[in-house]
Amino acid sequence: MELTFWGVRGSYPVPGPHTIRYGGQTSCVEVRNNKGTCLIIDAGTGLRALGQKLARERGDAPEWSYHFILSHVHWDHIQGLPFFEPAYVEGTQISIYAGAAAADELKGVIGGITRHEFFPMPLDAVPAEFTFHEVAPLMPFQIDGFEIVGVPLNHPFGAVGYRIDADGTSVAYVSDTAPFNDVLHKQHFLHGPEALTADDKKQLGRLRADLIKVLKDCHSVIYDTHFTTEEYARFPHYGHSTPDHALELCQEAGVKRLILYHHAPAHSDAQMDDIGRSYKVRGSAVGIDVVVAKERMSMAVGGRKGGKRATTDPGVGP
Amino acid sequence: VRVRFWGTRGSFAMSGPEFLRYGGNTPAVEVQNRAGRRVLIDLGTGCTELGKELMAGEFAQGKGELPVLLTHTHLDHIQGLPFFTPFFIKGNQINILGHQPGNSPLTGVFETQLRPHYSPLFGLENLAAGVSINPIQPGSSLPVEGFEVSAILVPHGTMQTLAFRIQADGAVVVFLSDVEYPDADPPKEVLELARCADLLIHDSMFSDEEYDARKGWGHSCASMAVKVAERAGAATLALFHHNPDASDEMIDRMVGDAQEKTNLVVFGAAEGRALPVTAGALETTVPPV
Repeated sequence: MELTFWGVRGSYPVPGPHTIRYGGQTSCVEVRNNKGTCLIIDAGTGLRALGQKLARERGDAPEWSYHFILSHVHWDHIQGLPFFEPAYVEGTQISIYAGAAAADELKGVIGGITRHEFFPMPLDAVPAEFTFHEVAPLMPFQIDGFEIVGVPLNHPFGAVGYRIDADGTSVAYVSDTAPFNDVLHKQHFLHGPEALTADDKKQLGRLRADLIKVLKDCHSVIYDTHFTTEEYARFPHYGHSTPDHALELCQEAGVKRLILYHHAPAHSDAQMDDIGRSYKVRGSAVGIDVVVAKERMSMAVGGRKGGKRATTDPGVGP
Repeated sequence: VRVRFWGTRGSFAMSGPEFLRYGGNTPAVEVQNRAGRRVLIDLGTGCTELGKELMAGEFAQGKGELPVLLTHTHLDHIQGLPFFTPFFIKGNQINILGHQPGNSPLTGVFETQLRPHYSPLFGLENLAAGVSINPIQPGSSLPVEGFEVSAILVPHGTMQTLAFRIQADGAVVVFLSDVEYPDADPPKEVLELARCADLLIHDSMFSDEEYDARKGWGHSCASMAVKVAERAGAATLALFHHNPDASDEMIDRMVGDAQEKTNLVVFGAAEGRALPVTAGALETTVPPV
């Protein structure tokens, strides 16, 4: 399998000189199996550039299918959809999988972002044909040669993590989630951390155990590490984790590589360098290869026979 | 007055080295009068940076007041709202003035934007600041303290947007973005709005060559922006709402081509740039980007 990161930022796009190297676009990852089949995880602003690439790749082919799995439908994970170039070409089929919402509700939610108040072209007028699919927790399903399973995460209004198996290897996408000790996210707004009931604690324990089970022996895990430890202490109720939380889970699950992802908008390239350096060391102390996701970075998962990890890093930049 | 461009990019925020000079953030433009009063036009991603600056002053204590003029609610003009820090401080008062199309309340658009599926804010009521969202009557003068503001509706594809004429300290700034006129000649009321503007900020999403294939998309080309500026007798023209696919070099070329056709001062609106504007002309010559 090969991963390409098109958007690695959380919350909202942050252009400018401080995000040149790690990138300013929001959540979007391209997954390819060895046959070249493409699976798109999340449709944040990074999707626009991926769509341009996929449109070139398709050329004049009269029909083409695209598959999306969505962690959840907060803006930073779906905002790229109206700018996905292949959607404006006849003969395009787009299937969208998401959890925690029935398929018709999902259609309403995705259609809602192109209501005329927000965007000039409504979903029904777009040439592509859309189908919507509900992901049931912990129920494996297949898309074009990818074996996928969704696992509920701890995030306001819900989110789903995914493990994807193909080519004899595996990658997981765990974004967005808070850790499983301080706050349990439900279906209402949190002004701050709320006291946990015994049931809440039980539920957090179950979420954590399910996630570890799904991540068991996974090769690479892309994890929401939005916050530094200091930032998390101030905003534990925002629904995001730190690299320490991610390392702890990955260690317990026997994961080989942790990819830090969903960077806070305020984190500059220099700060991301520091975070990367520091967690590289902490990761290798527990046998985990820690990598910081960068926009346009491609990476082989599992490696080819006898091969080393192949990473094309988009660079050191200016 | 002083005009500051916080976001100049149209449609979609663009990050990367090829967008550094003109900027990748979506529309947000601040106008400040000599007394220090501010008015913000639009809430694209650019407003998040203004938010940080405001938090260095009275907005951090919950004593800030900011009027916001909203051209329309396409996402690139409101997507910064949930990340504009002054909204999260109790006591701040933010008054959004915009157009209410048809019978659907303007407030409803923001409620949809912040509904729990889309946003962890779960709704407008969770913004700690006082937020008032007021539909305005185009053609009338608007209640913005420290400024004289009037607005008209202009065509933008299948919808209409508000265009603004903002006066203070004797200077006139006119904001005409997200607009495409149905005819080759700009309408009379547009020329009236922009009449003798010291600075006209105009939609120029497309170069003239690009425009031919994109008629009806709701945006203008550079030569239309020049035409409006010349006929209205504006002193200076800022090309605005840059195409997401236009690199800094491409915008340089578009600005250069536009400048060759007119005696007006033409420049490309660039993120982070603050421009003093006085009656008669820009106070300083426009520095190269």
